[in-house]
Amino acid sequence: MTIADDISVSRADRPERRVSTLPAKTILLGLLTSIIVVFCVLPFLLVLAISFGRKVDGAAWVWDFTFDNYQRFFVGVLWPDEVTFLYLQQLGFSFYFAVIASLLAVLTALPFTLQLTRLKRTSQAMWLVFIMASLSLSEVFIVMGWDILLSNNSGLPKLFKETGLTQWLKDVGWFQHLRDWGLANPRNVKFKTSDFATILTMSYLVWPYAVILLYPALSRLDPSLSEAARTMGASRWTVTRTVTLPSIRLPLFGTTLLLFVFLLGTYVSITVFAAPNKHTTAVAIYSNIRGANLNAPFGATQAIMLLISASACLYLGHVFNRRSEVR
Amino acid sequence: MRIFGAFYMGLSALLLALPIVVVCAAALNSGRSMFFPPQDPTLARFGEFFVSEPVWTNALWNSIIVAVGAATLAVLMAWPIAYLLWSTGSKLSKTLAGLGSLPFAVPPIVFGVGLGFFWAFTGGLGALWAGVISHAILLMALPLVTISIGLQSIDRSHLDAAATMGATEQVAFKTVVLPQTVPYTISGFFFVLVLSFNEFIVIFFVSASSYATVTLQIFNSLRNGYTPTMAVAAITFLAVSVLVFSAIARWGDLPRLMGADQSRK
Repeated sequence: MTIADDISVSRADRPERRVSTLPAKTILLGLLTSIIVVFCVLPFLLVLAISFGRKVDGAAWVWDFTFDNYQRFFVGVLWPDEVTFLYLQQLGFSFYFAVIASLLAVLTALPFTLQLTRLKRTSQAMWLVFIMASLSLSEVFIVMGWDILLSNNSGLPKLFKETGLTQWLKDVGWFQHLRDWGLANPRNVKFKTSDFATILTMSYLVWPYAVILLYPALSRLDPSLSEAARTMGASRWTVTRTVTLPSIRLPLFGTTLLLFVFLLGTYVSITVFAAPNKHTTAVAIYSNIRGANLNAPFGATQAIMLLISASACLYLGHVFNRRSEVR
Repeated sequence: MRIFGAFYMGLSALLLALPIVVVCAAALNSGRSMFFPPQDPTLARFGEFFVSEPVWTNALWNSIIVAVGAATLAVLMAWPIAYLLWSTGSKLSKTLAGLGSLPFAVPPIVFGVGLGFFWAFTGGLGALWAGVISHAILLMALPLVTISIGLQSIDRSHLDAAATMGATEQVAFKTVVLPQTVPYTISGFFFVLVLSFNEFIVIFFVSASSYATVTLQIFNSLRNGYTPTMAVAAITFLAVSVLVFSAIARWGDLPRLMGADQSRK
């Protein structure tokens, strides 16, 4: 029995009211539908349409229906004489950074969230305020903070030098390893630009999201299950491995996937912390649409490819979820 | 084990706070450049940010206009959709809710690009009102979720009782539905407000460099090096977030909004 049934029954006595409210409802529905279609769907369709457009040298671009942009994305503009995978490689870096950063965030957020759900309700709320505040903090502020912490003239490298840690690293011979990993120049450690700094910042960016997404599932965990296992003599680690982890496998996977998709489009962290030869599709999209290259159709093509990759991952995740639910 | 857990939480909190603390401390610098720890601490930068530097005061005003406008619009759009979804559960309402959440679900840069094209064709590119609408659409998913949670918490028997006693749909709506969902509506409003304040990439594409919000202004200044005034912006934004979420936790039910189990206290 839904509320709508109730209301139509009570209205049956007053048919004249019904006539006066129906058009208003229809108008509202029509208005809502058109707003949603125009603002939520049309922009994506525009990107799709423009991705088939053509850039005109010395001018902007024109509508067209050509697959040149897609060909350029996969094998380069000079194909078949010359093949370049530059743009696929950029998409590869998008994946590379997003996968590692999302995994790191979820794995470190999991023990934290488990602890959080075991606290009292009031302290949970206090922690959530803290988490939400850092979650909503803009990417530009976060990048700014890590930039100060990691840049060569202030922050960690300076701290390393002043405390003699750099000298100690040189003495024990580990400094050479850091140089091999691109985390040091001949004089001191350096974190800008490096994969380490990029992944750290991206992971930091989504860490609060990881907590918030894991929180509902973990707070529904039935403590009596693990208590029962404990009573039967299972060690704490065994309980975690055989009871807790299997029951949260799906939310863990789902959270990682969502964070990964979110991170695919990261822009600020990459421009500041990643080495130029490791710049991602998101950076390329910007430089084509608003930046130096000014090739809107090709930027749109890259945006579509990013969107397709993201949707494909979400879809595969969905299929995977279904399968493991059936099992 | 208990100690280890507390230790891990503390460590996480420390790491989470580290860049924020560094930025906040940098705001106290008196000179033009960032030092940590701050040299010759002063509060003069706060004056610059809020009062004397037009670049920052304009950016702050733009941020406020966009955030408040977007939050209002988003709630106004999300309410009827959430209500339809709850009261009828029709296919149309499900589709509307799904499509309405779409912009929030895809990588934001793609939606930013799409809106950039959209406003270029409709003449809104670079206009502040277009920024307001863009953020409202992007973040509509949040009030949609909070209002839906609020509507689900209404005991259907209250509505049955109201109907039995002869209340029309409008009266029942005003006396039963609305009062019980007000906290959730306000929470949704503030979620949008805070996220819009801090959003960067979409407003980056739709502003077309013709106006700057605080986040845009900070990104523009990234290339010229940091100034302590930027850190004041960070502190202000952080303070707003903490205030807003504390208020939601105080008057709303933050754990419930975040999906905590209701049966355990």
